[in-house]
Amino acid sequence: MGVVTARDQQATNASSQRAGPRTAAPQSGFAPWKNPSLPPIVRFEGITKRFDDFVAVNDVTLDIYEKEFFALLGPSGCGKSTLLRMLAGFERPTQGKTIVAGQDISDLPPYQRPVNMMFQSYALFPHMTVEGNIGFGLRQEGMPKNLIAERVDEAMGMLELRQFAKRKPNQLSGGQQQRVALARAIAKKPRIVLLDEPLGALDKKLRQQAQFELMRIQETTGTTFIIVTHDQEEAMTVASRIAVMEKGVLVQVATPGDIYENPKTRYIAGFIGDVNIFEGTVSAIGDGCIEINAKDGYQFKTRSSEPVAVGQQVCLALRPEKIRIAHEQPASAVNAIPGKVEDIGYLGSISHYHVRTAPGERVTALRANAAHTVERPISWEDGVWLDWPVDAGVVLTG
Amino acid sequence: MSAKANGLGRWYVIAAPYLWLLIFFLIPFFIVFKLSLSDVATAIPPYIPTFSWSEGIGKFISQLDFENYTFIFGDPLYVNAYLSSLKIAAISTVLTLLVAYPMAYGMARAPRAWQPTLMMLVILPFWTSFLIRIYAWIAILKPEGFLTMFLMKLGIISEPLQIMNTTTAVYIGIVYSYLPFMILPLYASLEKINPALLEAAQDLGSRPWRAFWQITFPLSLPGVFAGCLLVFIPAVGEFVIPDLLGGSDTLMIGKTLWNEFFNNRDWPLASAVAVILLLVLTIPIVLFQRQQQNERESGR
Amino acid sequence: MNKNFSWFNLTSITLGFAFLYIPILLLVIFSFNESKLVTVWAGFSTKWYSSLLENQALKDAAWVTIRVGLVSATVSTVLGTLAAITLVRMGRFPGRTLFSGMIFAPLVMPEVIIGLSLLLLFVAMGFDRGFWTITLAHITFTMCYAAVVVQARLQDFDKSVEEAAMDLGATPVNTFFQVTLPIIAPSVISAWLLSFTLSLDDLVISSFATGPGATTLPMKIYSQVRLGVTPEINAISTILIGIVTIGLLLAAYVTKRQTERSERERRKAFGATG
Repeated sequence: MGVVTARDQQATNASSQRAGPRTAAPQSGFAPWKNPSLPPIVRFEGITKRFDDFVAVNDVTLDIYEKEFFALLGPSGCGKSTLLRMLAGFERPTQGKTIVAGQDISDLPPYQRPVNMMFQSYALFPHMTVEGNIGFGLRQEGMPKNLIAERVDEAMGMLELRQFAKRKPNQLSGGQQQRVALARAIAKKPRIVLLDEPLGALDKKLRQQAQFELMRIQETTGTTFIIVTHDQEEAMTVASRIAVMEKGVLVQVATPGDIYENPKTRYIAGFIGDVNIFEGTVSAIGDGCIEINAKDGYQFKTRSSEPVAVGQQVCLALRPEKIRIAHEQPASAVNAIPGKVEDIGYLGSISHYHVRTAPGERVTALRANAAHTVERPISWEDGVWLDWPVDAGVVLTG
Repeated sequence: MSAKANGLGRWYVIAAPYLWLLIFFLIPFFIVFKLSLSDVATAIPPYIPTFSWSEGIGKFISQLDFENYTFIFGDPLYVNAYLSSLKIAAISTVLTLLVAYPMAYGMARAPRAWQPTLMMLVILPFWTSFLIRIYAWIAILKPEGFLTMFLMKLGIISEPLQIMNTTTAVYIGIVYSYLPFMILPLYASLEKINPALLEAAQDLGSRPWRAFWQITFPLSLPGVFAGCLLVFIPAVGEFVIPDLLGGSDTLMIGKTLWNEFFNNRDWPLASAVAVILLLVLTIPIVLFQRQQQNERESGR
Repeated sequence: MNKNFSWFNLTSITLGFAFLYIPILLLVIFSFNESKLVTVWAGFSTKWYSSLLENQALKDAAWVTIRVGLVSATVSTVLGTLAAITLVRMGRFPGRTLFSGMIFAPLVMPEVIIGLSLLLLFVAMGFDRGFWTITLAHITFTMCYAAVVVQARLQDFDKSVEEAAMDLGATPVNTFFQVTLPIIAPSVISAWLLSFTLSLDDLVISSFATGPGATTLPMKIYSQVRLGVTPEINAISTILIGIVTIGLLLAAYVTKRQTERSERERRKAFGATG
């Protein structure tokens, strides 16, 4: 569609300026959650929500800070949407308090809360124009007409919607509708914008552009964004911090980098990115490293940030990109296991190698396809060695 | 629920239709029941006892009895009227289904562009007066009516047809008037069926006729069920059709009730007839409500 | 499922619609018959229509019927819309099962029972029977149809649209008038039309609920039909059928034009930019 191209350009510009650093090392200076004297803008205090005997959200306590782009991540049915809807006021917590900017808003109806939401279905008013939709919230405040027009125009400008001002929602493409929904949510300049799977209906390419657009809007307006998503890549891309939920419980709250590098549980390790898991027991502890007797007979040496005891059941989680794969046995590797290549997933710049080890376990390793490789290429049925250093893996006790 | 947050306003919305239905739909049934225990009298209103505060509730209750019920069950006329109503309603329901199913099936398979028009054509008679549509049949069915003239011209019959004022005329009348009520739910359930299911069945070796019985028909059963109840329940208590098209030998309980009330002015007996009719219809009505409820829940 | 539209399908549709429409057509045709016999054609004439105009009792009955229809359809649409909202949007509340029971039962309840029970209520309450008791009775049974019509539309539309309005600061009342009502408006209009037609049509319930002095058109027609078939009844029936048909066709035409227009605008919008 021709409409999006101008905007695409901008989205791509925005992305090139600020992609990279976000996932690896979240904006160097911005870490309000590390500052104990700073009050959070949103505080969930022991929030529980029950529907009959189903516990959708179970005793969640969580602080979110001003100007954060905070993601609630989890599979469908994990309670993330319910938590967001309780903040918007559509659901009442069975127990617990919701505090926004120091004020307990648990008993306020949705229309008196200082938050605005962007809905998964966009929920645009079908009988109003784009302008009418964006100005709806302002009209509720009884703002003077010329001021409303100004603010609507500002929001339309920010999202490149001016040319569609007089159109009805059903005359817009999916991407345009999505932008109207966002414009409507920010038009009132709320302190907090809630986004419930905001990009779920877009196709993959449009979705990536929209993610960068969300980040751009969040930064220019300086608003706190809270996004609910089941897409881990999306959460990693946009968020300053991610809260992973499973079955109504908060499992881990951390920056995207932290979650990827130091997942707290096996579940998170598997949910975010690919991972190889070796189960075993701790056999020795010493000099900052521990030794693990894996179930299938191998012995691994690895660093552990988790305090463990000898004899404890643990898992060693290894990201595929941290495993080296070679034809020859490495001379001085701490952890090395032989195997046979069963499958190769060629993805262009990289390849996935699925290797079957002697005891029958399947391990995935990843290697960049550099063109100047002098080595003989690895192919199906080749005997190979996998090895990794002591600091490659993460020890999981949960 | 979105509206839960705003307590009081919510109750206003609920209260208006709720109270209206309580007063004008539910409470009247209790009055009917009470009256069915009273006796007929030549007074205004034409029954005793009437409740008065001065005499107290004890005396009032002591005058109520089940006399009307024992009378109804003792008189074969009433018992037969109930049985015959159920029989006529049941037969008409089956006939309506037999007429409606091929129509609904044809509509569901018709080209997409025709479907709104066909729907419209089914709904249109439903919006035109019931009474007028029954009236239209009198001119057709009477001995010197259109049907006789048409068939005599074709030489199929030589004597005038004797359909008017018989139970057959009542069947025709019920099938005709209730046809839209059967077609609409049938069409709705047939139209929902994914054509890929039939393709899959045929791909797996099922011949069209078998595919119909194994796939289409079972999936249309909710529509069949809803349609049958929509026809059967009101047909049991039908008054206009047996009154205008039926004969003196056509016993239907709606007509009996009407006669007791308007001609004999026996309000208590008419009430007792109504109470028993209601009890007879309780099971189908409850089934109907279940079905509507399910429809709504699944529509979510 | 529109595959293989066969001869069998075409035949069953054709025969079915012939069955539905031939009686009505005959009735309409013979309302223009010169002869007093309704089954033998004796030439075209509109004399039965002019004789209707001179029939004061019939005109009175028509006027009563229209007034009852206007008042009861309006009240029943309001109550029915509230009932639909209660059914679809209010979640659970004490007595919900009873409530939905009272909405759906009148749809199938034999009219003689509804009529009798309402009459006994009016007698017990000491109401003067006539125009207002008929109207009350009609509101009661038509509001259930209105509720079902509106409910179907409410169920279809995305609840988050209402949530969005409240999220943007609209109170529940504002949300209803600014968002919900405009969206469900077509169904509210059809609910009104249906209530009006049902009220116009009703014989049995009106016969119970009425008192001396208030006779509706169906009651009048019924008492004449009992005496036999006359071209005059054909004429009045034709007028009633004509009104309903024109109304429905008009409604269908308007909806069709609306959808066509929005479809055109849609196409234009995408054609111009993409």
